[in-house]
Amino acid sequence: MNPLIELTGVQKVFGAGPGALHAFGPVDMKIEKGEFVSLLGPSGCGKSTLMLMIAGLLDATGGRIAIDGRTVVGPQTDIGIMFQDNTLVPWRTVRGNIELQLELRGLSTAAHRASVDELLASVHLEDFQRRYPHELSGGMQQRAAFCQALVHQPATMLLDEPLGKLDAMTREAIRTDLQALWIQRHPTVVFVTHSIEEAIQLSTHVAIITPRPGRVERIISVDLPYPRDFEVKSSPQFIGYVRQAQEIFRGYGVL
Amino acid sequence: MSIAFFAAFFLAWQYSIVWFDIPRYILTPPSVIVTKGWADIDRLLYYTWITGVEVVLGYAVAVILALPLGLAIAFSSILRRTIYPFVVCVEMVPKIAFAPLFISWLGFGLLPKVIIVFLVCFFPIVLNAILAFSSLSEELSRFSVSTGASVWRTFVKVRLPAALPQCFVGFKYAAINATVGAAIAEFIGSDQGLGFYIQIVTGNMRPDLAFAGIFFLTILGLALFGLVTLAERLLIPWHISVRHQSR
Repeated sequence: MNPLIELTGVQKVFGAGPGALHAFGPVDMKIEKGEFVSLLGPSGCGKSTLMLMIAGLLDATGGRIAIDGRTVVGPQTDIGIMFQDNTLVPWRTVRGNIELQLELRGLSTAAHRASVDELLASVHLEDFQRRYPHELSGGMQQRAAFCQALVHQPATMLLDEPLGKLDAMTREAIRTDLQALWIQRHPTVVFVTHSIEEAIQLSTHVAIITPRPGRVERIISVDLPYPRDFEVKSSPQFIGYVRQAQEIFRGYGVL
Repeated sequence: MSIAFFAAFFLAWQYSIVWFDIPRYILTPPSVIVTKGWADIDRLLYYTWITGVEVVLGYAVAVILALPLGLAIAFSSILRRTIYPFVVCVEMVPKIAFAPLFISWLGFGLLPKVIIVFLVCFFPIVLNAILAFSSLSEELSRFSVSTGASVWRTFVKVRLPAALPQCFVGFKYAAINATVGAAIAEFIGSDQGLGFYIQIVTGNMRPDLAFAGIFFLTILGLALFGLVTLAERLLIPWHISVRHQSR
Protein backbone atom coordinates (compact mmCIF):
# COMPACT_ATOMS: atom_id res chain seq x y z
CA MET A 1 0.00 0.00 0.00
CA ASN A 2 1.20 3.49 -0.82
CA PRO A 3 1.96 5.84 2.04
CA LEU A 4 -0.63 8.57 2.50
CA ILE A 5 1.82 11.45 2.26
CA GLU A 6 5.03 10.92 0.32
CA LEU A 7 7.81 13.48 -0.02
CA THR A 8 10.48 12.83 -2.63
CA GLY A 9 13.44 15.21 -2.80
CA VAL A 10 11.27 18.11 -1.65
CA GLN A 11 13.11 21.39 -1.27
CA LYS A 12 12.38 25.08 -1.03
CA VAL A 13 14.60 27.95 -2.12
CA PHE A 14 13.43 31.54 -1.67
CA GLY A 15 14.65 33.94 -4.33
CA ALA A 16 17.20 33.16 -7.02
CA GLY A 17 20.84 33.80 -7.87
CA PRO A 18 23.53 34.57 -5.29
CA GLY A 19 20.96 36.09 -2.89
CA ALA A 20 18.83 32.95 -2.85
CA LEU A 21 17.95 31.49 0.54
CA HIS A 22 18.01 27.72 0.70
CA ALA A 23 15.27 27.25 3.26
CA PHE A 24 14.53 23.57 3.21
CA GLY A 25 15.45 20.13 1.95
CA PRO A 26 15.94 18.07 -0.03
CA VAL A 27 13.80 15.78 2.09
CA ASP A 28 12.38 12.30 1.55
CA MET A 29 9.69 11.13 3.90
CA LYS A 30 6.72 8.80 4.07
CA ILE A 31 3.72 9.26 6.32
CA GLU A 32 1.27 6.41 6.64
CA LYS A 33 -2.46 6.74 7.14
CA GLY A 34 -3.44 7.33 10.76
CA GLU A 35 0.03 8.28 11.92
CA PHE A 36 0.70 11.28 14.11
CA VAL A 37 3.98 12.69 12.83
CA SER A 38 5.71 15.64 14.45
CA LEU A 39 8.12 17.84 12.57
CA LEU A 40 10.43 18.80 15.41
CA GLY A 41 13.10 21.42 14.92
CA PRO A 42 14.46 24.81 15.97
CA SER A 43 12.77 27.96 14.71
CA GLY A 44 13.74 28.94 11.19
CA CYS A 45 14.44 25.36 10.10
CA GLY A 46 11.68 25.40 7.52
CA LYS A 47 9.23 23.04 9.20
CA SER A 48 6.34 25.47 8.72
CA THR A 49 7.43 25.92 5.12
CA LEU A 50 7.21 22.16 4.63
CA MET A 51 3.73 22.11 6.14
CA LEU A 52 2.56 24.84 3.79
CA MET A 53 4.03 22.92 0.85
CA ILE A 54 2.17 19.75 1.86
CA ALA A 55 -1.01 21.83 2.06
CA GLY A 56 -0.35 23.07 -1.47
CA LEU A 57 -0.31 26.67 -0.23
CA LEU A 58 3.35 27.12 -1.14
CA ASP A 59 5.06 25.65 -4.19
CA ALA A 60 8.08 23.43 -3.66
CA THR A 61 11.14 24.54 -5.61
CA GLY A 62 12.08 20.95 -6.32
CA GLY A 63 10.91 17.39 -5.70
CA ARG A 64 7.47 15.90 -5.47
CA ILE A 65 4.79 15.80 -2.79
CA ALA A 66 2.02 13.25 -3.16
CA ILE A 67 -1.06 12.73 -1.02
CA ASP A 68 -2.87 9.44 -1.54
CA GLY A 69 -0.87 8.88 -4.71
CA ARG A 70 -1.84 12.22 -6.26
CA THR A 71 0.83 14.88 -6.77
CA VAL A 72 0.12 18.09 -4.87
CA VAL A 73 -0.12 20.93 -7.37
CA GLY A 74 -2.52 23.45 -5.87
CA PRO A 75 -4.18 24.10 -2.50
CA GLN A 76 -5.48 20.90 -0.89
CA THR A 77 -9.08 21.35 0.17
CA ASP A 78 -9.81 18.03 1.87
CA ILE A 79 -7.48 18.56 4.81
CA GLY A 80 -7.75 20.48 8.07
CA ILE A 81 -5.13 23.13 8.72
CA MET A 82 -4.26 25.08 11.81
CA PHE A 83 -1.92 27.99 11.28
CA GLN A 84 0.56 29.55 13.70
CA ASP A 85 -1.71 32.54 14.12
CA ASN A 86 -5.22 31.26 14.50
CA THR A 87 -7.80 32.00 11.84
CA LEU A 88 -10.60 33.02 14.16
CA VAL A 89 -12.30 36.11 12.79
CA PRO A 90 -13.25 38.82 15.31
CA TRP A 91 -16.74 39.38 13.89
CA ARG A 92 -17.97 35.87 14.65
CA THR A 93 -18.60 34.02 17.88
CA VAL A 94 -16.78 30.80 18.72
CA ARG A 95 -19.59 28.82 17.15
CA GLY A 96 -19.75 31.18 14.17
CA ASN A 97 -16.04 30.74 13.61
CA ILE A 98 -16.35 26.98 13.59
CA GLU A 99 -19.26 27.28 11.19
CA LEU A 100 -17.19 29.58 8.96
CA GLN A 101 -15.22 26.50 7.87
CA LEU A 102 -18.49 24.79 6.91
CA GLU A 103 -19.92 27.86 5.20
CA LEU A 104 -16.81 28.47 3.11
CA ARG A 105 -17.04 24.86 1.98
CA GLY A 106 -20.71 25.23 1.15
CA LEU A 107 -21.71 22.70 3.81
CA SER A 108 -24.92 23.01 5.76
CA THR A 109 -24.48 24.37 9.28
CA ALA A 110 -27.83 22.89 10.29
CA ALA A 111 -26.74 19.40 9.30
CA HIS A 112 -23.56 19.78 11.36
CA ARG A 113 -25.16 21.23 14.47
CA ALA A 114 -24.73 18.06 16.49
CA SER A 115 -21.13 17.51 15.44
CA VAL A 116 -20.24 21.12 16.32
CA ASP A 117 -21.84 20.61 19.73
CA GLU A 118 -19.81 17.47 20.20
CA LEU A 119 -16.57 19.18 19.18
CA LEU A 120 -17.22 22.12 21.51
CA ALA A 121 -17.86 19.73 24.37
CA SER A 122 -14.70 17.76 23.64
CA VAL A 123 -12.58 20.89 24.20
CA HIS A 124 -14.74 22.21 27.06
CA LEU A 125 -15.99 25.26 25.18
CA GLU A 126 -19.72 24.49 25.21
CA ASP A 127 -20.39 27.36 27.60
CA PHE A 128 -18.39 29.81 25.49
CA GLN A 129 -19.86 29.16 22.06
CA ARG A 130 -21.66 32.53 21.99
CA ARG A 131 -18.51 34.44 23.00
CA TYR A 132 -16.32 36.41 20.65
CA PRO A 133 -12.62 35.55 20.28
CA HIS A 134 -11.47 38.67 22.14
CA GLU A 135 -13.47 37.55 25.16
CA LEU A 136 -11.50 34.31 25.39
CA SER A 137 -8.11 33.46 26.84
CA GLY A 138 -5.33 32.43 24.48
CA GLY A 139 -5.86 28.80 25.34
CA MET A 140 -9.59 28.95 24.67
CA GLN A 141 -8.92 30.66 21.36
CA GLN A 142 -6.64 27.83 20.31
CA ARG A 143 -9.24 25.27 21.36
CA ALA A 144 -11.79 27.08 19.22
CA ALA A 145 -9.34 27.26 16.33
CA PHE A 146 -8.79 23.55 16.71
CA CYS A 147 -12.52 22.92 16.36
CA GLN A 148 -12.55 25.17 13.30
CA ALA A 149 -9.83 23.08 11.66
CA LEU A 150 -11.57 19.82 12.52
CA VAL A 151 -15.27 20.46 11.97
CA HIS A 152 -15.39 19.22 8.36
CA GLN A 153 -13.89 15.92 9.59
CA PRO A 154 -10.76 15.86 7.48
CA ALA A 155 -8.86 12.58 7.28
CA THR A 156 -5.59 14.53 7.30
CA MET A 157 -4.66 17.43 9.55
CA LEU A 158 -1.74 19.82 9.35
CA LEU A 159 -1.09 21.67 12.59
CA ASP A 160 1.52 24.42 12.60
CA GLU A 161 2.63 25.06 16.18
CA PRO A 162 -0.95 25.30 17.41
CA LEU A 163 0.22 25.55 21.02
CA GLY A 164 3.27 27.72 20.36
CA LYS A 165 2.01 30.92 21.92
CA LEU A 166 0.49 29.45 25.06
CA ASP A 167 1.78 29.22 28.58
CA ALA A 168 3.13 25.88 29.78
CA MET A 169 0.11 24.90 31.87
CA THR A 170 -2.40 25.65 29.13
CA ARG A 171 -0.25 23.79 26.63
CA GLU A 172 -0.32 20.72 28.82
CA ALA A 173 -4.11 20.81 29.14
CA ILE A 174 -4.75 21.31 25.41
CA ARG A 175 -2.24 18.60 24.53
CA THR A 176 -4.32 16.17 26.54
CA ASP A 177 -7.48 17.17 24.67
CA LEU A 178 -5.69 16.99 21.35
CA GLN A 179 -4.47 13.50 22.13
CA ALA A 180 -7.93 12.38 23.21
CA LEU A 181 -9.40 13.64 19.93
CA TRP A 182 -6.71 11.91 17.91
CA ILE A 183 -7.26 8.62 19.74
CA GLN A 184 -10.99 8.91 19.12
CA ARG A 185 -10.96 9.95 15.43
CA HIS A 186 -7.55 8.82 14.28
CA PRO A 187 -6.83 11.32 11.53
CA THR A 188 -3.39 11.44 9.95
CA VAL A 189 -1.65 14.37 11.62
CA VAL A 190 1.41 16.38 10.67
CA PHE A 191 2.28 18.44 13.73
CA VAL A 192 4.87 21.20 13.65
CA THR A 193 6.49 21.96 16.99
CA HIS A 194 9.72 23.01 18.64
CA SER A 195 8.95 21.29 21.92
CA ILE A 196 10.70 17.93 22.25
CA GLU A 197 8.46 16.75 25.04
CA GLU A 198 5.32 17.73 23.18
CA ALA A 199 6.43 15.90 20.05
CA ILE A 200 7.23 12.71 21.92
CA GLN A 201 4.09 12.78 24.02
CA LEU A 202 1.76 13.12 21.04
CA SER A 203 3.42 11.40 18.12
CA THR A 204 3.72 7.97 16.66
CA HIS A 205 6.76 9.29 14.80
CA VAL A 206 8.97 12.31 15.37
CA ALA A 207 10.91 13.68 12.42
CA ILE A 208 13.93 15.58 13.70
CA ILE A 209 14.58 18.57 11.43
CA THR A 210 18.04 20.13 11.37
CA PRO A 211 18.71 23.89 11.46
CA ARG A 212 18.50 25.71 8.10
CA PRO A 213 18.50 24.40 5.47
CA GLY A 214 16.15 21.95 7.18
CA ARG A 215 16.59 18.26 6.52
CA VAL A 216 15.18 15.21 8.21
CA GLU A 217 18.05 14.08 10.41
CA ARG A 218 16.24 11.07 11.82
CA ILE A 219 12.75 9.72 12.34
CA ILE A 220 12.17 8.43 15.85
CA SER A 221 9.33 5.93 16.17
CA VAL A 222 7.80 6.45 19.58
CA ASP A 223 6.69 3.10 20.89
CA LEU A 224 4.69 4.05 23.96
CA PRO A 225 1.06 3.21 24.78
CA TYR A 226 -1.75 5.79 24.39
CA PRO A 227 -3.07 7.73 26.15
CA ARG A 228 0.28 9.13 27.16
CA ASP A 229 -0.63 10.72 30.42
CA PHE A 230 1.42 11.98 33.30
CA GLU A 231 2.40 8.40 34.24
CA VAL A 232 3.87 7.67 30.83
CA LYS A 233 5.70 10.97 30.73
CA SER A 234 7.64 10.15 33.86
CA SER A 235 8.55 6.66 32.63
CA PRO A 236 12.20 5.87 31.82
CA GLN A 237 11.26 5.03 28.20
CA PHE A 238 9.70 8.46 27.67
CA ILE A 239 12.72 10.18 29.16
CA GLY A 240 14.92 8.03 26.94
CA TYR A 241 13.17 9.32 23.82
CA VAL A 242 13.50 12.91 25.04
CA ARG A 243 17.23 12.40 25.64
CA GLN A 244 17.64 10.88 22.19
CA ALA A 245 16.17 13.99 20.57
CA GLN A 246 18.09 16.33 22.83
CA GLU A 247 21.34 14.66 21.90
CA ILE A 248 20.75 15.23 18.18
CA PHE A 249 20.02 18.91 18.70
CA ARG A 250 23.02 19.26 20.98
CA GLY A 251 25.12 17.86 18.14
CA TYR A 252 23.89 20.76 16.00
CA GLY A 253 24.63 23.30 18.68
CA VAL A 254 20.96 24.17 19.08
CA LEU A 255 20.74 23.07 22.70
CA MET B 1 -17.23 66.37 32.67
CA SER B 2 -17.26 67.33 29.01
CA ILE B 3 -20.49 69.31 29.52
CA ALA B 4 -18.82 71.25 32.33
CA PHE B 5 -15.93 72.01 30.02
CA PHE B 6 -18.26 73.35 27.32
CA ALA B 7 -20.04 75.49 29.87
CA ALA B 8 -16.75 76.86 31.19
CA PHE B 9 -15.64 77.69 27.65
CA PHE B 10 -18.80 79.68 26.83
CA LEU B 11 -18.79 81.42 30.21
CA ALA B 12 -15.17 82.50 29.72
CA TRP B 13 -16.09 83.75 26.24
CA GLN B 14 -19.12 85.65 27.53
CA TYR B 15 -17.31 87.41 30.39
CA SER B 16 -13.96 88.06 28.72
CA ILE B 17 -15.79 90.29 26.23
CA VAL B 18 -17.10 92.35 29.12
CA TRP B 19 -13.80 92.39 31.00
CA PHE B 20 -11.60 93.25 28.06
CA ASP B 21 -14.21 95.57 26.57
CA ILE B 22 -14.09 93.99 23.10
CA PRO B 23 -16.22 95.89 20.55
CA ARG B 24 -19.33 94.05 19.37
CA TYR B 25 -18.39 94.29 15.70
CA ILE B 26 -15.28 92.18 16.36
CA LEU B 27 -16.58 89.53 18.72
CA THR B 28 -19.98 89.00 20.26
CA PRO B 29 -20.79 87.12 23.46
CA PRO B 30 -22.62 83.77 23.13
CA SER B 31 -25.80 85.22 24.63
CA VAL B 32 -26.06 87.75 21.80
CA ILE B 33 -25.32 85.08 19.19
CA VAL B 34 -28.21 83.02 20.54
CA THR B 35 -30.73 85.88 20.56
CA LYS B 36 -29.70 87.37 17.19
CA GLY B 37 -29.40 83.94 15.62
CA TRP B 38 -32.84 83.03 16.91
CA ALA B 39 -34.25 86.17 15.29
CA ASP B 40 -32.85 84.99 11.94
CA ILE B 41 -33.65 81.29 12.49
CA ASP B 42 -35.79 80.83 9.34
CA ARG B 43 -32.98 81.85 7.05
CA LEU B 44 -30.40 79.83 9.03
CA LEU B 45 -32.52 76.67 8.92
CA TYR B 46 -33.23 77.07 5.22
CA TYR B 47 -29.52 77.54 4.46
CA THR B 48 -28.62 74.59 6.67
CA TRP B 49 -30.98 72.54 4.52
CA ILE B 50 -29.32 73.87 1.32
CA THR B 51 -25.80 73.13 2.53
CA GLY B 52 -26.93 69.83 4.01
CA VAL B 53 -28.21 68.66 0.61
CA GLU B 54 -24.86 69.53 -0.99
CA VAL B 55 -22.96 67.70 1.73
CA VAL B 56 -25.12 64.57 1.71
CA LEU B 57 -25.24 64.30 -2.10
CA GLY B 58 -21.49 64.84 -2.53
CA TYR B 59 -20.71 62.41 0.27
CA ALA B 60 -23.07 59.72 -0.96
CA VAL B 61 -21.76 59.88 -4.53
CA ALA B 62 -18.20 59.72 -3.18
CA VAL B 63 -18.97 56.57 -1.17
CA ILE B 64 -20.82 54.94 -4.07
CA LEU B 65 -17.99 55.55 -6.55
CA ALA B 66 -14.94 55.33 -4.30
CA LEU B 67 -15.66 52.00 -2.67
CA PRO B 68 -15.88 49.93 -5.89
CA LEU B 69 -12.85 51.75 -7.30
CA GLY B 70 -10.81 51.02 -4.16
CA LEU B 71 -11.93 47.40 -4.35
CA ALA B 72 -10.98 47.16 -8.02
CA ILE B 73 -7.54 48.68 -7.44
CA ALA B 74 -6.91 46.36 -4.48
CA PHE B 75 -7.66 43.26 -6.54
CA SER B 76 -6.29 44.16 -9.95
CA SER B 77 -2.55 44.37 -10.42
CA ILE B 78 -3.09 46.22 -13.70
CA LEU B 79 -5.20 48.93 -12.05
CA ARG B 80 -2.70 49.03 -9.21
CA ARG B 81 0.05 49.91 -11.64
CA THR B 82 -2.00 52.34 -13.75
CA ILE B 83 -4.78 54.10 -11.84
CA TYR B 84 -3.33 53.86 -8.34
CA PRO B 85 -0.32 56.19 -8.87
CA PHE B 86 -2.69 58.61 -10.57
CA VAL B 87 -5.09 58.52 -7.63
CA VAL B 88 -2.24 59.14 -5.19
CA CYS B 89 -1.01 62.12 -7.23
CA VAL B 90 -4.48 63.63 -7.50
CA GLU B 91 -4.90 63.17 -3.76
CA MET B 92 -1.97 65.55 -3.32
CA VAL B 93 -3.71 68.26 -5.36
CA PRO B 94 -5.63 70.62 -3.07
CA LYS B 95 -9.15 69.93 -4.36
CA ILE B 96 -10.46 73.19 -2.96
CA ALA B 97 -8.29 75.02 -5.50
CA PHE B 98 -10.60 73.70 -8.22
CA ALA B 99 -13.64 75.36 -6.66
CA PRO B 100 -13.44 78.64 -8.63
CA LEU B 101 -13.04 76.70 -11.86
CA PHE B 102 -16.05 74.50 -11.25
CA ILE B 103 -18.13 77.54 -10.40
CA SER B 104 -17.04 79.32 -13.56
CA TRP B 105 -17.86 76.21 -15.60
CA LEU B 106 -21.10 75.19 -13.93
CA GLY B 107 -22.52 78.35 -12.40
CA PHE B 108 -23.80 79.20 -8.91
CA GLY B 109 -26.13 76.22 -8.54
CA LEU B 110 -26.09 72.97 -6.63
CA LEU B 111 -23.91 70.95 -8.99
CA PRO B 112 -20.49 72.60 -8.51
CA LYS B 113 -20.87 72.37 -4.72
CA VAL B 114 -21.79 68.69 -4.89
CA ILE B 115 -18.76 68.10 -7.10
CA ILE B 116 -16.42 69.83 -4.68
CA VAL B 117 -17.81 67.95 -1.68
CA PHE B 118 -17.47 64.79 -3.76
CA LEU B 119 -13.82 65.54 -4.59
CA VAL B 120 -12.94 66.28 -0.99
CA CYS B 121 -14.57 63.03 0.19
CA PHE B 122 -13.65 60.73 -2.68
CA PHE B 123 -9.90 60.32 -2.16
CA PRO B 124 -9.74 59.45 1.53
CA ILE B 125 -12.40 56.80 0.89
CA VAL B 126 -10.56 55.33 -2.13
CA LEU B 127 -7.18 55.24 -0.40
CA ASN B 128 -8.56 53.63 2.75
CA ALA B 129 -10.60 51.15 0.72
CA ILE B 130 -7.48 50.09 -1.20
CA LEU B 131 -5.65 49.62 2.08
CA ALA B 132 -8.64 47.80 3.57
CA PHE B 133 -9.10 45.32 0.76
CA SER B 134 -5.42 44.56 0.28
CA SER B 135 -4.45 43.87 3.87
CA LEU B 136 -6.13 40.57 4.69
CA SER B 137 -3.78 38.55 6.88
CA GLU B 138 -1.82 35.81 5.15
CA GLU B 139 -3.31 33.24 7.50
CA LEU B 140 -6.89 34.18 6.72
CA SER B 141 -6.30 34.22 3.00
CA ARG B 142 -4.56 30.83 3.17
CA PHE B 143 -7.36 29.50 5.33
CA SER B 144 -9.95 30.66 2.79
CA VAL B 145 -8.01 29.09 -0.08
CA SER B 146 -7.68 25.82 1.80
CA THR B 147 -11.46 25.52 2.04
CA GLY B 148 -11.79 25.69 -1.73
CA ALA B 149 -14.32 28.53 -1.38
CA SER B 150 -15.13 30.58 -4.48
CA VAL B 151 -13.80 34.12 -4.83
CA TRP B 152 -17.27 35.51 -4.21
CA ARG B 153 -17.94 33.43 -1.12
CA THR B 154 -14.53 34.32 0.30
CA PHE B 155 -15.27 37.97 -0.37
CA VAL B 156 -18.63 37.97 1.38
CA LYS B 157 -17.63 35.84 4.36
CA VAL B 158 -14.04 36.93 4.97
CA ARG B 159 -12.65 39.79 2.91
CA LEU B 160 -15.52 42.24 3.19
CA PRO B 161 -16.05 42.02 6.96
CA ALA B 162 -12.28 42.10 7.51
CA ALA B 163 -12.02 45.27 5.38
CA LEU B 164 -14.86 47.24 6.97
CA PRO B 165 -12.94 48.79 9.91
CA GLN B 166 -10.34 50.35 7.60
CA CYS B 167 -13.09 51.50 5.20
CA PHE B 168 -14.72 53.33 8.07
CA VAL B 169 -11.50 55.24 8.72
CA GLY B 170 -11.97 56.69 5.24
CA PHE B 171 -15.70 57.27 5.71
CA LYS B 172 -15.11 59.21 8.92
CA TYR B 173 -12.28 61.29 7.54
CA ALA B 174 -14.43 62.14 4.51
CA ALA B 175 -17.36 63.05 6.77
CA ILE B 176 -15.19 65.54 8.62
CA ASN B 177 -14.07 67.15 5.36
CA ALA B 178 -17.45 67.23 3.68
CA THR B 179 -18.81 70.38 5.37
CA VAL B 180 -15.48 72.15 4.87
CA GLY B 181 -15.74 71.50 1.13
CA ALA B 182 -19.33 72.72 0.98
CA ALA B 183 -18.63 75.89 2.97
CA ILE B 184 -15.63 76.88 0.86
CA ALA B 185 -17.49 76.17 -2.37
CA GLU B 186 -20.23 78.49 -1.15
CA PHE B 187 -17.73 81.19 -0.16
CA ILE B 188 -16.43 81.25 -3.69
CA GLY B 189 -19.64 81.50 -5.58
CA SER B 190 -23.14 81.07 -4.27
CA ASP B 191 -26.39 82.85 -3.58
CA GLN B 192 -27.55 80.57 -0.78
CA GLY B 193 -26.28 78.15 1.86
CA LEU B 194 -24.44 78.58 5.15
CA GLY B 195 -21.09 79.46 3.52
CA PHE B 196 -22.81 82.20 1.56
CA TYR B 197 -24.59 83.39 4.71
CA ILE B 198 -21.39 83.56 6.78
CA GLN B 199 -19.66 85.57 4.08
CA ILE B 200 -22.51 88.07 3.67
CA VAL B 201 -23.10 88.73 7.38
CA THR B 202 -19.36 89.09 8.01
CA GLY B 203 -19.29 91.72 5.26
CA ASN B 204 -22.13 93.47 7.08
CA MET B 205 -20.12 93.60 10.34
CA ARG B 206 -22.34 91.01 11.98
CA PRO B 207 -20.01 88.54 13.73
CA ASP B 208 -22.97 87.45 15.87
CA LEU B 209 -24.77 86.04 12.81
CA ALA B 210 -21.49 84.64 11.38
CA PHE B 211 -21.08 82.64 14.59
CA ALA B 212 -24.68 81.48 14.33
CA GLY B 213 -23.87 80.27 10.79
CA ILE B 214 -20.74 78.52 12.00
CA PHE B 215 -22.79 76.89 14.72
CA PHE B 216 -25.19 75.39 12.20
CA LEU B 217 -22.30 74.26 9.97
CA THR B 218 -20.85 72.51 12.98
CA ILE B 219 -24.17 70.85 13.75
CA LEU B 220 -24.32 69.70 10.13
CA GLY B 221 -20.82 68.22 10.32
CA LEU B 222 -21.56 66.55 13.65
CA ALA B 223 -24.78 65.08 12.26
CA LEU B 224 -23.01 63.52 9.29
CA PHE B 225 -20.18 62.24 11.48
CA GLY B 226 -22.72 60.92 13.96
CA LEU B 227 -24.56 59.02 11.22
CA VAL B 228 -21.32 57.44 9.99
CA THR B 229 -20.36 56.52 13.55
CA LEU B 230 -23.79 54.99 14.07
CA ALA B 231 -23.40 52.94 10.90
CA GLU B 232 -20.00 51.83 12.13
CA ARG B 233 -21.42 50.68 15.44
CA LEU B 234 -24.17 48.75 13.70
CA LEU B 235 -21.93 47.16 11.06
CA ILE B 236 -18.78 46.39 13.04
CA PRO B 237 -19.78 46.19 16.70
CA TRP B 238 -17.05 43.58 17.11
CA HIS B 239 -14.21 45.90 16.16
CA ILE B 240 -11.81 47.08 18.83
CA SER B 241 -12.34 50.81 18.13
CA VAL B 242 -16.09 50.43 18.58
CA ARG B 243 -15.72 48.24 21.65
CA HIS B 244 -13.59 50.87 23.34
CA GLN B 245 -16.08 53.64 22.61
CA SER B 246 -19.03 51.79 24.07
CA ARG B 247 -17.25 50.72 27.19
